[in-house]
Amino acid sequence: MSQPTRVYISLIGLLFILSACVPTASNSIASTTTPPFVPTSASKAELDRVKTYVEGKSDGLYASILDLKNASDRYYELAKAANFDYPTLWSGQSEEVIEILGKARSAFLAANPQYEQMEGVVAGIPSLSQYDLILDAGVSGADGGEDAVPFDLTLPNGTVLSKPGNLFEVTEATLWGTDPVYTITTIHPDFNRNGQVDLGDSLPDAAVLKGAVDAFEKYTGELKEAARTWQPTESEAFGALIANIPTFSDFMEGWKNSHFVMGEASNERGFVATSRLSDLGDNILSWQKIYSGLSPAVKSQLPEMDAQITRDLENLHQYVADLYVQESQQEKRFTPEEVDMLNAEGQSRAMAIAGQIAQVAAQLGISIEVE
Amino acid sequence: MRRASRLLLHSILVVLLVPLAQVHSASVPPLQTASEIRENLFDAQMRVSSDPTGVEASLAAARSAYSEAFAPIFQEAVPQVNGRAMAGFDAAAQSFSQGQVAGFAAARAQIWTAILAGSYTMVEQAVRQKDIVTAQAWLPVREFRTTTRFSRPGTSATLALEALAQGTMSSNEALLAVRADLFDTYQAELTEVLHDLPAADSQGFAARREELAALAEGYFLILAPSYAQANGDIALQNAQAAFHDLRFAAGTGQNLSMPLQRIDETLHNFRAAPLTPAEQSRRAGQLLRYLSLVPVEYNRGVKSGQVIHDFEIQEAITFHTGAMAAFSDLENLLDVHDSEATAQARVQLETLGQQLDQTARGGEVIPGVLIQDQADGLTQLLTNTMPPEWAQGGSAGDFDVILSMLDQMEAAVLSKDYAAAESARLEAYAIMEVGPEARLMSFAPQLKLKLEDLFWNSQTPDKGLAYLIHNQASYQEIKSTRARLDQTLNEAQTILTANTAPMAVAVNAGMIMFREGLEAVIILASLMSSMKRTEERKYRKPMWLGTILAFAATILTWVLAHDLLQSLARYGEKLEAVVSIIAIVMLLIIMNWFFHKMYWTEWIASFHARKRQIISGEAGLWLGLVALGFTSVFREGFETVLFLQALVLESSLSVVISGVVAALAAVCLVGFVTFRLQVNLPYKKMLVFTGILIGAVLLQMIGATVHVFQVVGWLPIHAIGAQQLPYWLGTWFGIYTTWEGVVLQALAGLFVIGSYYLAEGLKHKHRSIRTEPDKVELPPRPAQKLSPSRK
Repeated sequence: MSQPTRVYISLIGLLFILSACVPTASNSIASTTTPPFVPTSASKAELDRVKTYVEGKSDGLYASILDLKNASDRYYELAKAANFDYPTLWSGQSEEVIEILGKARSAFLAANPQYEQMEGVVAGIPSLSQYDLILDAGVSGADGGEDAVPFDLTLPNGTVLSKPGNLFEVTEATLWGTDPVYTITTIHPDFNRNGQVDLGDSLPDAAVLKGAVDAFEKYTGELKEAARTWQPTESEAFGALIANIPTFSDFMEGWKNSHFVMGEASNERGFVATSRLSDLGDNILSWQKIYSGLSPAVKSQLPEMDAQITRDLENLHQYVADLYVQESQQEKRFTPEEVDMLNAEGQSRAMAIAGQIAQVAAQLGISIEVE
Repeated sequence: MRRASRLLLHSILVVLLVPLAQVHSASVPPLQTASEIRENLFDAQMRVSSDPTGVEASLAAARSAYSEAFAPIFQEAVPQVNGRAMAGFDAAAQSFSQGQVAGFAAARAQIWTAILAGSYTMVEQAVRQKDIVTAQAWLPVREFRTTTRFSRPGTSATLALEALAQGTMSSNEALLAVRADLFDTYQAELTEVLHDLPAADSQGFAARREELAALAEGYFLILAPSYAQANGDIALQNAQAAFHDLRFAAGTGQNLSMPLQRIDETLHNFRAAPLTPAEQSRRAGQLLRYLSLVPVEYNRGVKSGQVIHDFEIQEAITFHTGAMAAFSDLENLLDVHDSEATAQARVQLETLGQQLDQTARGGEVIPGVLIQDQADGLTQLLTNTMPPEWAQGGSAGDFDVILSMLDQMEAAVLSKDYAAAESARLEAYAIMEVGPEARLMSFAPQLKLKLEDLFWNSQTPDKGLAYLIHNQASYQEIKSTRARLDQTLNEAQTILTANTAPMAVAVNAGMIMFREGLEAVIILASLMSSMKRTEERKYRKPMWLGTILAFAATILTWVLAHDLLQSLARYGEKLEAVVSIIAIVMLLIIMNWFFHKMYWTEWIASFHARKRQIISGEAGLWLGLVALGFTSVFREGFETVLFLQALVLESSLSVVISGVVAALAAVCLVGFVTFRLQVNLPYKKMLVFTGILIGAVLLQMIGATVHVFQVVGWLPIHAIGAQQLPYWLGTWFGIYTTWEGVVLQALAGLFVIGSYYLAEGLKHKHRSIRTEPDKVELPPRPAQKLSPSRK
């Protein structure tokens, strides 16, 4: 027998063995039925990690808000000392005002991702979700509907702002001057001294800023405590994902209408300090974090689905991260039509992930608790 | 020879390599390949105008993935789908070469919907062949309905395949479930796309417009078999032409109004996954229940033209949204019955929604009366338009509404608004009571008690919701009871879903009637039979009068049932408690009179002959007997109406009445036998027998009333041990394992026995007085006052 023939025969023998290992339909059926899901101490431990993560983020958020409160209190004291005569304040103490407001804005920018990176949990867990409405998602009473914030803002001067909108939005609009009601419109200080009035070249109404930030401190403190008493369950975690992942398009719509896409034509008073793309990326991180708490339990019974969900969540995060890099580093200004296309595609992917997670929950026999 | 053997070995190698290659491609799940194709195509589209090299690479990667993994399979199973996908790739390449982003977007949509269509066909074929592995591999290549508060991603196809694998579902059933889930999804996607298209068009988004038109065409192709089945092949050809025209118009920048209108007409009343009769009934139940709750919540939220509770207005909006969702699901079916009324209902529903929204946004506050009138008018309109069988299909819709009310309760607890939470809890319980509880009474009475405990003041093992809300318990505690309640509601729903046969409903109605009537009839028959002497017979009259009044009130309750029960249902348990306590007081008074009258009063009366006092006592006694007759019957009558109304909705009036008539006959028979038995007994024995019977009824009434008091939280609960007695001991004999119930029953027993011995003692005392003529001179007793036995 020649050498090539021997190689061929050996190869064929090997292939026969491999062929015998190919699964057939009949012997695979058994593996398709999913045994009932029994929560284990291991899955509880994984979910406890999600809790620890949220506790860490809420601590971080609270610390940033305390910095913000410190700056806001100092600004209020300065304004009060000037008898709330802002032109006098600006002409006499502009350096101090710039320094204080700079700190306030930095603290705000530090607080924003702290919250966004846990928003998926806060918004999706029934015992925490009211804080999402208060801090980041609630609309003003004038906009109405069930998404209106549940609080009124009482300012130090006794004025009550009825259901003004969520605290990130109110504070951002006050700090960056996108809402004339919360801003001193009589003067336009040139913060960066470039000789023109840019976005953010405005003085906040000190009473509004203090009222909003005091409320911010109160509610983030409450959220911190609520996160400590929260006992995560599989049902809640699945529910949070199924309810939150489809909100992808809400972020993209916010982005489309913001200054980052519409420029001067934007009517949005929020989303001026941080691009909504950044918020969306952070939110997807929080979805990934929640899923990481469920993944071991899913993997033990539906490994293919687990791999697919993990991969798709990562791809979704990458999809948004790429866009953010183009916007923030390559200074690309997306057109509204492009954003519309990107939104449709991203939303479609997000819905596919939420759908897969719903299938997994159903197959594991977990009833979903959705906020 | 060597060459021949080489050729032979070559052939064997190829034969073995092909399946291995298939295994390799099969080892990549179809969903992964589909995602890869999709992502590459989108990546290519976003680079069309800026990065030709990138487009080529991404397009080639997508085409390669499709050609290797899907094309051979689709070509064999659904060649037209494969042809459509391949044409899509060609169109994409052509659009790229011409630098047309919009054309590329349309081609991408064509490829993607072809893959969805191919995947659906693969699943369907695999289910038919019971090839579960293949079905489960392809099913994930699908889309899902957009998540809303009232809609979650469908899971019934996945679960159907699981059930098929486990042998608990036939392939036909699984196929129906898969179709319902996927067709429903793709029709929702089609609707959404057609909704988004004019918006994209008005903004001048050319690429999005072409993409949406191509998606619409693609989704419709998936639904085409269902469309042909419902409307015929010619209609299908017309419909496909309409979608083709839309795509052409979108691609050539023409006005889309006409093609969209044509498609709207084409899809009128088309539902790709028709609702089953049970689902139709469920949606109808949801629609009417949600609608009835809108004015209830709204009226709690406004007062004197002012919004006093935002929360209640939001609740009203939520229920309106629920009603609107249910109406949308039923609209095409209602339209077939009466298109004018259906259109009118839509307009009215939308107007109602706008008015609620206006109030919520701080605009002019619409008066509550107006909202109530509109809701009533709409209910009337819808009830008249709905086919009667929708009102008789079960209580699934009620369970849905109960769950959404409990969601509201939880939300209120989270906001620390315990008053709103209590209101939502009461509303949920009211729906439970006027809806599924009647059937539970017969099919699963143990669950009825369990639900009652969880809704109200249970102490063990989970605290009842009423107790927790009253004590402003933490969200976690309330959530824990809610979880148990959900579980029990689910059990109840499962049991009730399986029992809707007319005979079962008639038996239910009969059982309820018999159980509720028995107690009243024993009281009445026993007391009346004991009044057999001439001067006592007059006392039967007030009891009959009370009974007749109670019957009239019961019938009035039945006539006014719908509105009355809706408004009283949330007070149902408390009403029962109040009426029960009046009945017990009356029974105690009458028993007191009974023993005294028979053994004592007549002697005193004849001895003292103080007529005026007796007359005034007679008047009170007369009223007491009327009240006893009334309360004995009406306390049962109200509850019976409550339960029977629900059963009428389950089946029909005639079925329920047949059960009621049979049970009434049985109750009358028991009453008659009791009456005859006692009448024929010697007077003394009759009195003892009556005393025992009424005493037993009293004990039952006290046990049941204490339980109701504990349910509504008017009495504390101290359980006797952890063991629960069988539920029927409570239902039939009023025996519940709480110290309060047992102690009060014992006290009542002592009262009855003590009363007897007291009367006996007094009788002997007076007899001894009578035997001393030097002390008291007694008038001779008239002979006619003696009973025959005494004679």
